Amino acid sequence: MRRAFVESLCLLAEKDPRIVFLTGDLGYGVFDDFIARFGPRYINAGIAEAQLVCAAAGLAKEGYRPLVYSIASFMTGRPFELIRISIAYAGLPVIVVGAGGGYCYANSGVTHHAAEDLALMSLLPGMTVTAPGDPGEVRALLPQLAALPGPSYVRIGKFGEPSYASDEPVVVGQARWLRQGTRGVTLVTTGDLAVPALEAADKVQRERGWSPTVVQFHTVKPLDEAALGRLAQDTHTLFVAEEVCPQGGLAAAITEWMVRTGTRMKFRRLGPPDAFVLGNPRLETVRKKFGYNAVALFEACLAAVTPA
Amino acid sequence: MKQAATEATTAMSVAELEQMARRIRASCIQMAQDGKEGHLSSSLAYVDAVTALYFGWLRLDPARPDDPERDRFILSKGHGCTALYATLAARGFLPRRILKEYNQEFGPLPNHSCRHALPLLEMSAGSLGQGLGVATGIAYGLRLRGSTARVAVVLGDGECNEGSVWEAAMFAAAQHLGNVLAVVDYNGIQAVGRSDEIMGHTALEEKFRSFGWNAWNVDGTRMADLLAVLAQVPVVNGQPSVIVARTRMGVSFMENDVVWHYRKPSEEEVRRALAELQARPLQGDE
Repeated sequence: MRRAFVESLCLLAEKDPRIVFLTGDLGYGVFDDFIARFGPRYINAGIAEAQLVCAAAGLAKEGYRPLVYSIASFMTGRPFELIRISIAYAGLPVIVVGAGGGYCYANSGVTHHAAEDLALMSLLPGMTVTAPGDPGEVRALLPQLAALPGPSYVRIGKFGEPSYASDEPVVVGQARWLRQGTRGVTLVTTGDLAVPALEAADKVQRERGWSPTVVQFHTVKPLDEAALGRLAQDTHTLFVAEEVCPQGGLAAAITEWMVRTGTRMKFRRLGPPDAFVLGNPRLETVRKKFGYNAVALFEACLAAVTPA
Repeated sequence: MKQAATEATTAMSVAELEQMARRIRASCIQMAQDGKEGHLSSSLAYVDAVTALYFGWLRLDPARPDDPERDRFILSKGHGCTALYATLAARGFLPRRILKEYNQEFGPLPNHSCRHALPLLEMSAGSLGQGLGVATGIAYGLRLRGSTARVAVVLGDGECNEGSVWEAAMFAAAQHLGNVLAVVDYNGIQAVGRSDEIMGHTALEEKFRSFGWNAWNVDGTRMADLLAVLAQVPVVNGQPSVIVARTRMGVSFMENDVVWHYRKPSEEEVRRALAELQARPLQGDE
């Protein structure tokens, strides 16, 4: 996803002279092409997230379309109040980029964990919040975010995530059906959990001859309520797989919608708990331990059609 | 390079500017009483500086407030907004009678400046430590498109407690933003005490200088001194500039008292203050 981000950033900057990129002293070597081609439209503001946010706000006020970039935990948590005031309250079109959201940097410890990023950004009025699941979604979403009149957040992962295919286009604000299933079981995902969800769906198809529906919410806010209404029509059991804290993520938004609309489905969230993850585990270990990797999703699907 | 569309300033004499500053002070005091909202010290102290900026340095045209080549003014200490409102009215950007609407619910002049209420403002404020950072972004953007417009920002001395001010100060120097001018309202008083006691020996001009800025320490109550320093900005070395203005409220019985950060003046105090200033509030003009 990181590669896709840099390439789409360059494409975007080529087409749109308003694009300015600000980094908080991160991305060694990654942006060399951008620097060579766009010179002063690359700004290293130093390890100074507050300044990153305020400078971007000033640039946006002058008609530019700035992107601010740092590790997701530092980019969202530390300057949260400055994003709230200088960007969101001002309604300025700044794209906040959180690299390595969720437990992408699990092994680096709690300082680098960003399970709150989507929740924090969703708290801000007018903020569009996205978590693409593969390089294709990054490429498709970035130009759309740059065209928005207001602020947005995009959580991007690391290098080398797999790509998946779907006939459905990637449209900001619209959930994307990656797989239409047959037995009333639906896996809803955000971020790169679409990948283990598709793995689980393939395994169910291979071993049991049916498939769950897989719907990817690359946009967490605004919530695609029309899509929820659509999927509720043929879903008896809904799983939401997310790498976000339990409060304020996709599952929380969907349960709020279910209660508000009186929609009844069996519901289970698969994701990390409200806890600091100690021990510097690897990402796969975190997902296994808390039961939201491909194996856990596969087992959840089976349990949904064969009650114990 | 694009030329600034409007030339600085007005042709007012120092004595006329001093009188205008007194009228702006009187207007602030009247607003505090009418709007039943304090923060008087936060406005009164920098009146001379903002008068000098608006009438003697900023290249602005009230007939064209959206001119892309206008100089930008940012009030970072948004709680001191009555001085800005009064100055905007004095300079012809706002009708003077509008000052009577200060601090009314859903009104145009809230007690922390808000761009949604008053779109004329460059930015909203009220949360400290953000104006200088935003100013550097504006300044970078202006340079990027070849504009010669400049950005002035007023900060409080208490506000300089915020680390983000110094992040912005480093950035402005590193990016050689000679089109940035910061004015620190060094009134020596912050919300619960004296600045020097709360943060130690402040020596703000030395701090900024060591960060790579052109820095001056001036008597912020002397119009002629303020204008003389402003005439040296921007400096040809291409670095940002800061004026640390040692300020006073300008009303004898309010000087040096933290209580005026909060206190609303009584009718008697308003009368005394206006008598001492020998100036009419602008909101009485038609």
